Amino acid sequence: MEDCQIMLQQKISDKDYMYPGHVACPGCGAAIAMRFALKALGEKTMMVIPACCWGVIAGPYPQTSLKVPILHTAFATAGATASGLRAALDMKEDTETTVVAWAGDGGTFDIGIQALSGAVERNEDFIYVCYDNEAYMNTGVQRSSATPFGSRTTTTPGKDWKRSRKKNITEILAAHRIPYAATASIAFPEDMIQKFNVAKQLKGGTRFLHVFASCPTGWRIPTEISVKIARLAVQTNVFPLYEIKNGIDYRLNYKGDRPVTDYLKVQGRFKHLTDDDIKQIQDMVDEDWELLRRKMENNLVT
Amino acid sequence: MERMKKQNGTEDIPLFISRSNITTEINKTGSWRFARPKYDEKTSPCSAACPAGEDIARIQMLANQESFKEAVHTILIENPFPAVCGRVCFHPCETACNRTGFDEPIAIRCLERFLGDFAIQESMKLPPEKLPENGKSVCIVGAGPAGLAAGYFLTRLGYSCHIFEASSEPGGILRWGIPEYRLPVKILAREIERIKDFGVKINCNVPMSQNFLKETKSRYDAFFIACGYSRSMQMNIPGDQAASDGLEFLRHMRREEITPLTGTAAVVGGGNTAVDIARSLVRLGLNPIIVYRRRKQDMPAFKHEVEMARKEGVKILELFAPIQIEKTGGACFLTLQQMKISGAETSGGRAVVVPDGRVTQLRRVDHVFTAIGAEPTEPWQFPPEQGPETLHLGHCTFAHRDRPLMFGGDLTNPIKSVTDAIASGKQAAMALDAFFKKGWDANADRLAPYRVGSGPALSMESYLKGEHTSRNRHIVSYEEINTDYFSTAARVLSASLAVDESVHSFLETEETYTFDQAVEETYRCFKCGICDSCNNCRIFCPEVAVVFKDSRRVIDLNYCKGCGICVVECPRNAMALEMEI
Repeated sequence: MEDCQIMLQQKISDKDYMYPGHVACPGCGAAIAMRFALKALGEKTMMVIPACCWGVIAGPYPQTSLKVPILHTAFATAGATASGLRAALDMKEDTETTVVAWAGDGGTFDIGIQALSGAVERNEDFIYVCYDNEAYMNTGVQRSSATPFGSRTTTTPGKDWKRSRKKNITEILAAHRIPYAATASIAFPEDMIQKFNVAKQLKGGTRFLHVFASCPTGWRIPTEISVKIARLAVQTNVFPLYEIKNGIDYRLNYKGDRPVTDYLKVQGRFKHLTDDDIKQIQDMVDEDWELLRRKMENNLVT
Repeated sequence: MERMKKQNGTEDIPLFISRSNITTEINKTGSWRFARPKYDEKTSPCSAACPAGEDIARIQMLANQESFKEAVHTILIENPFPAVCGRVCFHPCETACNRTGFDEPIAIRCLERFLGDFAIQESMKLPPEKLPENGKSVCIVGAGPAGLAAGYFLTRLGYSCHIFEASSEPGGILRWGIPEYRLPVKILAREIERIKDFGVKINCNVPMSQNFLKETKSRYDAFFIACGYSRSMQMNIPGDQAASDGLEFLRHMRREEITPLTGTAAVVGGGNTAVDIARSLVRLGLNPIIVYRRRKQDMPAFKHEVEMARKEGVKILELFAPIQIEKTGGACFLTLQQMKISGAETSGGRAVVVPDGRVTQLRRVDHVFTAIGAEPTEPWQFPPEQGPETLHLGHCTFAHRDRPLMFGGDLTNPIKSVTDAIASGKQAAMALDAFFKKGWDANADRLAPYRVGSGPALSMESYLKGEHTSRNRHIVSYEEINTDYFSTAARVLSASLAVDESVHSFLETEETYTFDQAVEETYRCFKCGICDSCNNCRIFCPEVAVVFKDSRRVIDLNYCKGCGICVVECPRNAMALEMEI
């Protein structure tokens, strides 16, 4: 399981569907996420991007940073637009092209959840990707319901740091009983690309991928440790890597064994936390991990 | 736009959506950057610790890619004896290995042995790169590892070399002082053969004397004296003529001229020779005991050898020194003085011992062997301590008299090992070449650019290229390795004879790695400081700014924003981030 990082190089396609010169911040995890995703998805892909960082990274008019078509759309409408795009392609009898909704955590957890839930309940045939950088980074680091407990943002500043837990979006999506829901991290390219491959193959229903994408700007971390932080999130079980098929078949891809403090202490957004706060976060992570472990053990599918 | 009615009743509706028509490539985001990543290969600690300065991390990488021939060439350019060193080197490289901080050091010696044997099997020649012949000839005294190495390296640098050897065959201590179960003669012979094929002339059965040097002086432009320590030191105690000379015993064994012995034997000494004698005696069916005046942990013999000897049934009596031998009938009565520790040579170093009052022990054995050290046979073999135009270079001594006179091997090496002897041959060759090209005064500094890490090991490869080592001298530390990219794995052990088998024969106790074992072990290597094309820099670059140019990775500075992810994600510290402002 832990070996999935080693020798990754041989298995990763060298082909890129992204141009340089995009305007993501230095060290942007979301930019890395797109590179990996497209390595698996390939040329026959259409992107639907609502308002989010990627709305900007994809290029101001008349530029584009991707070698595949992108449909820019309104904040709340990724799920709906992707449904429509799929319907249009179906009418044109194009079943080969993969429709991908590519939204941030704001557009998924908060503003777009209605359209998303609606589309998912209809089991629309597209891949929905939430690249999660845990706040509204594009507009200046406002908290979202993906912002973790303990984090400071510009709307949870100073001693008013966020005291509610991060919404568990993957479980919400799994509860719709879609064919495939999984988490992935930019620090585990092979695992992530493999999951995009699985999602691409499972045509006919909604596939949801929750991708952890670090944000040096919003998290107050040095740019060079952007991938390292994403890896630490997995190694500390803050962001476990797992897959759920049909909403019930759980599979865990990595078992972390490091304390959360290794993850928290290197980030500016958490630097105010006391030992007691960190203890509380550790307890939450342990509780979530235990819950996940039990779901795995009680798998209805064998 | 006119609406078109299709036959099926649907209509094409014009879409008033703005469409992009150029890419983001026109944004030269490199202008945002204030730090610049670069490929910056560094020195691995194993390489820096290797007296011969072998580029070990690269050798591991090449072997990992199953490019065994290239791996062998990379060794041979720095050391013509991989099959020998892969057997008898005390592998300071493994002691320095960064992997120790993670689980266990890489079995570097085992891989070297595998590659050495591979080269023999494949009848590989020495790499042909040579400087043009310069018309100068060098006389080398002694065909031991130092003399042979000097001959090899000088030939590579364009000199014509004659090696003179007093005994009947070349190899020195390798031929006459190491038992068959550690180094088979045929392996040694093949590696020496390769050196001869390279153009080094070896004349055996030429007794060495000061006279010989005087007579031949006019015929050579320089001399390299490396005749080793071939005379055993004497105990100088009453009755010591009853003891046999240990080195002589090993020489007889190598000639297969051994008279059958039985019973018990005491071997006096704590070095490799003492252990070699004791383990050989076990194989002849004797019960040997090693008598050493310091503690077991102070024995200069290699730890592994001591451990093997112990497993084979050799007893070790520590803190006892012989003061008298009485020969009565067939037996020797050894009077042993108990010693006690009075201090340490250096902090944490060997114990200094003194007699502990009058406590003695009388021990009856059938044979006594001495192995308390050796020395040069004649005074002219000693290198000059000081004087005008005398330079101590670490592995060898350079005395400029009417002709350049160099001393190497055991005569000058602080650590008397085979690999150090090879290092002295290399150092002498390079120093001599520097002398002939740039004169005496330039000598000390001339070699500095070719050091591996902080020295004293030198790189022949960079000397031949005539350029400074391309690699940064910085020695990669364990903390600089991104261990997230490695998982713990047990060291691959080579097969070895079971003890009850090994004690009955002079067959090699350890076997050479198989192909699969060799490759498996190289996966464990961090390959500190060198690029093994893992592609992490390219994979993780958010800017798609690591590109291939002439099949090499380069950073496209038009777009690189200087985030530094490539540098942090490099598993082996082969990159660096430089500030631009």
